[in-house]
Amino acid sequence: MDGVAQLQKQLVDYTASLFQEGFLDEQFNQLQQLQDESNPDFVVEVVSLFFEDSERLLNELAKALEQKTIDFRKVDAHVHQFKGSSSSIGAQRVQKVCIAFRNYCEEQNIEGCLKCLQQVKHEYSLVKSKLETLFKIEKQLIAAGGSIPT
Amino acid sequence: MAPTIESVNQGNGGFEGNNKRSDRFVKATWKNKLTALVVDNGELCRVLERENLRAYGVETVAVETGEAAVELIASGSTFNLIFIDMYLPTMSGPEAVRQIRAMGARSKIIGLTAFITEKDEQDFFAAGIDEFFEKPLDPDWFVPIIREVDNQI
Repeated sequence: MDGVAQLQKQLVDYTASLFQEGFLDEQFNQLQQLQDESNPDFVVEVVSLFFEDSERLLNELAKALEQKTIDFRKVDAHVHQFKGSSSSIGAQRVQKVCIAFRNYCEEQNIEGCLKCLQQVKHEYSLVKSKLETLFKIEKQLIAAGGSIPT
Repeated sequence: MAPTIESVNQGNGGFEGNNKRSDRFVKATWKNKLTALVVDNGELCRVLERENLRAYGVETVAVETGEAAVELIASGSTFNLIFIDMYLPTMSGPEAVRQIRAMGARSKIIGLTAFITEKDEQDFFAAGIDEFFEKPLDPDWFVPIIREVDNQI
């Protein structure tokens, strides 16, 4: 198998594994479909926005949960945003933790919220690293003269 | 499952929505020129909602706040569709919708939220939205809405 074909296969297999393992869902496909010649870096740009947003939200959540008197409405607002953004790009596992997180918020359950914060941090760092790997393979493929299979 | 390419054209059939409108490949064409306003404070959601609508041939403008949306409409802009988030930082989604309706806007207003709750649903519908959906925008539900609006013009 030549270099380009090998990279293409690697890309296809890696992408498939991300879906199989539940890191990504159908929304990610929708996102890819918005990329075209007039918008060639759309996916990378949007995912970068997601990274920035998530890091900010994780900081805000940590701060909010460290307070002596926790403002659960604030925590809820951040979780709300996090769920919105993660579901919009198809980061399924992050989104699922946000759902649990919100329930604990509603119950004003501090233990539960802290646990979810750890979980969402973990899931976020996993999907971040997976997406970075995905983009790296795409870059290698393009550098080798190939194109991303649609 | 990715939606099939929608095509609504002047009855001459077989036209697959391949026209390049402002350099972008558009997935659907409509009988009328359609416009939409997106109101969302989160940049990621705002960008995605706008791009999704543009990809389906709707001329879309996006703003960050309820106040900006109200101001835009007060200045005379009209939109066939408005997609508005429940949770906006200063003026809430429902409050913005109330003001927009009070100005006589007859746009199809779709309320959006990350988590649907009964209370939010009641508040938002009472304010004057026509539909309420959980994010993200999915062609499975927003394309039929666009088609309905297009057919009613």
